[in-house]
Amino acid sequence: MTDRRRFEQQVLPHIDAAFNLARWLTRNDHDAEDVVQDAMLRAYRHFEGLRGEARPWLLAIVRNACFSWMQRNRPAELATGPDAEAAEAATAPADGPEALLARELDRRMLNEAIAALPFREVLILRELEDLSYREIARIANVPIGTVMSRLARARRLLAESVRVIAVASRLQTEK
Amino acid sequence: MKPEEAARLLHAYVDRELDAAKSLELEAQLAADPALRERFERLRDLSAGIREKADYHAAPSSLAERLSAASIAPRRAPRWILPVAAAALVASLAAGIVLVRPGDEEALLREMVASHVRSTLGNRLIDVASSDQHTVKPWLSARLPFSPPVADFSQEGFELAGARLDYVGGHPVAVLVYKRRQHLIDAFIWPGSGPRDSAYSRDGFNVERSSAEGMRICLVSDLNRNELSDLARLLTARR
Repeated sequence: MTDRRRFEQQVLPHIDAAFNLARWLTRNDHDAEDVVQDAMLRAYRHFEGLRGEARPWLLAIVRNACFSWMQRNRPAELATGPDAEAAEAATAPADGPEALLARELDRRMLNEAIAALPFREVLILRELEDLSYREIARIANVPIGTVMSRLARARRLLAESVRVIAVASRLQTEK
Repeated sequence: MKPEEAARLLHAYVDRELDAAKSLELEAQLAADPALRERFERLRDLSAGIREKADYHAAPSSLAERLSAASIAPRRAPRWILPVAAAALVASLAAGIVLVRPGDEEALLREMVASHVRSTLGNRLIDVASSDQHTVKPWLSARLPFSPPVADFSQEGFELAGARLDYVGGHPVAVLVYKRRQHLIDAFIWPGSGPRDSAYSRDGFNVERSSAEGMRICLVSDLNRNELSDLARLLTARR
């Protein structure tokens, strides 16, 4: 089987997962298309390096393509350097309720809250792609412990903003 | 287990990443500690809420078309040639796979009917029970070397009940399970293409064959042929 055909069978079917991740990271359809196109070309070029499962492998390439694209086009948004890591470490992992109400929450508001999260990539890979901690660690190129703390933090922040939104909308209706 | 450790492990527990021993330990703790239990339930609801309501951004079909292997080809070609080359590539791929011997096809159909019967007799009908395509699709993608199209057609009267994995014709396949009235329909999906729409039935089961976008889709059910065709059309049209 030619490389091209193997690529078409093994990698291209994961284009939805690739686009979903890029769309959540760039928050924009048009940019996500550019990123995915770029990532697919890179993936094709490095196809021989594929060992094991194609989907996590492709998602790692998409993620890198996202970050280099952001660096070129929206460097301000990438202020997640040492500061963010420090903030992550400083947040107590155990405390703070993970509440709440996500099920009752308006779809649009939940999506906006997720889009605003730092480290939303771990949440997207875990909840929407159903990937294991180990796979996410490989994609994000961090230890599993970091995946766990980022996931916990993303969920806690999401729960907080969900609660704020819920309270705000309740106040709105009471008025 | 200390309370701090229990709280820390809640996420791993919700994500089914905890080993059996720790899970048991944590479950004992959950039973004994109502506050911890409440945190667990909130966390679980949050996770379910995200899975249910967060947008899954599928790639626009124009992007998939642009990225078909023809346009990834290293040599530069004039723009107009890409669609032509893509069509030729798809055609040659299809031709390559269509060349199965009739005997193979017959054996394949028998295997699928047998799988359907086995699954309805035993309890292994569904590995992942969900009517939510955003739960079913990643579940399947994580376990297969391809990503099958998944959609719920409740509005059209075919409710997605879940999915399972199976092994048919020498390769792993995705099986989407749909319900219509009291009938169950198995949709076997795998990469490839093949003969289509020739009527086939065996032992009271109808099989409806089609393919779309590089995927073969075979429906097996005791449902009547007309309604089975309706589902086949829905499945092939959405992509």
